[in-house]
Amino acid sequence: MKSFLKNKWIFLVLISLGTMAIISINGCKASQQVSSKSGVQLWSENCQRCHNTPSPASFSPEQWETIGMHMQSRALLTDEERNKIVAFLKQ
Amino acid sequence: MKRNIYLISAAALIFACSPFQNVLYAQDKALDSALMDRVTELEKQMSEKKSGDDHFMVAGLATFGFVSNTTTTTSGGISQKATTNSFPDVDHFEFSPLFLWRHGSHFLLEFEPSFDGFSVGVNWADVSYFVTPGLILRAGYLVTPFGTYSKRLAAGWIDKLPTDPTGVADYPSLSDFGIEAEGGFPLGSMKWSYDVSLTNGQQLLPDGELQPVGAVDNNKNKTITGRLGLLPISNSSLEIGVSGMYGTVGDVNTPYESAKSGSWAIDLNYVKLFNPILVNFKGQANFTYVNTQKYVNPTDSSLYTFDNKTTSSYAQIALRPTGSQNNFIKNLEIAFRYGRYVTPENSLWGQTSDIIDASLNYWITWRTVFKVGYQSNNGTSTSLENSGDKIKSESLFIQFAIQL
Repeated sequence: MKSFLKNKWIFLVLISLGTMAIISINGCKASQQVSSKSGVQLWSENCQRCHNTPSPASFSPEQWETIGMHMQSRALLTDEERNKIVAFLKQ
Repeated sequence: MKRNIYLISAAALIFACSPFQNVLYAQDKALDSALMDRVTELEKQMSEKKSGDDHFMVAGLATFGFVSNTTTTTSGGISQKATTNSFPDVDHFEFSPLFLWRHGSHFLLEFEPSFDGFSVGVNWADVSYFVTPGLILRAGYLVTPFGTYSKRLAAGWIDKLPTDPTGVADYPSLSDFGIEAEGGFPLGSMKWSYDVSLTNGQQLLPDGELQPVGAVDNNKNKTITGRLGLLPISNSSLEIGVSGMYGTVGDVNTPYESAKSGSWAIDLNYVKLFNPILVNFKGQANFTYVNTQKYVNPTDSSLYTFDNKTTSSYAQIALRPTGSQNNFIKNLEIAFRYGRYVTPENSLWGQTSDIIDASLNYWITWRTVFKVGYQSNNGTSTSLENSGDKIKSESLFIQFAIQL
């Protein structure tokens, strides 16, 4: 039991330290190059990581909002990426 | 002439004062009143609508196909061949509607039941709360964050080949009851993501295999699973991930009470257009172990032990000429995959398998695909009872997959 807890905590600590180290490197800010990307560019870059890029006509604007949330949790998009991609798909 | 004008005026006056005209006027008034009532009712409904609106939609997927298989088993120098062909089998048929229910901008319910040809199961059923940028909390029956295949790539309309890579998708088992926290962040010109879950975990069986424990935990401990992902290139073309899973797997108050299992995985994803060819490379390697335990030998019920380690891995590449000017050619795709699955030597299910897959795909739309695939599976038994036996299997697949 002690060994189990010890291993579990080591695992947790390693994940936490790794996360904190990465955060501290750049303060979790997007570079100018990344933050200036348009919705269409982010759509073409991120969707095809897993599947073909979807047609904006495939769903209604209301449905794209819902799908945006679903896909953000699957692909772990940043909030800015999700918002820009959904805005493009709703046009 | 003057007389005629008098007559017309008199007729108009009589008509205007007639009971018929009064009836028309009353009907118009009633219609106006009904319309006004309806408008008032709609205005009332709109004013009462909450800001946290409900939005429900149904998506989902279906795959259907045909498989022809020939399996040759060689044991003690004697070979036996068996041939089957059928319309869908359990691995290649799926009908899974996906119900998504967004409540406002912070809550999302996801429910995906699935019929595989034999039974109806559930892939996931969970509720997510989008707390702040970079933090999504989830609870329910969820896909644990171990590698990327099960969570992102397993759907038939996404997978480049008709089959799942053996072992990668289901060992360790990845759908579980619990809670999860996840998020993605920018990191200068790069991106990174985290995903951590706490779930009931798995159960160790007397033969040493692991299976999902389900909704009622078999011990007091929970299994922790986590993945860290890094996208080091600004165009998100490359993603590298490392995952870990650790938990107690033994039933409480049994000889396996102290049994624990750990798993590790690395995954890689690279998608880039080298005009006119879109190159799509994916790979994942899983490693699972259970600490030393005594298992039951079914031949004489004696106890024995073996090194309970399982590895599964795959590497695949898909090439599609998306930059071609020809509409037919740009929708064609070829895919190759090599997989290796090694289960524990001297266990009852010990085997080493090398699996090669190839597929020619035609994309009818961005989410509809027709695949013709071939698979060769060369296995050598390392099991306690049949060590050295050879199993060679060849399959031809035809598969149609669609997302709705």
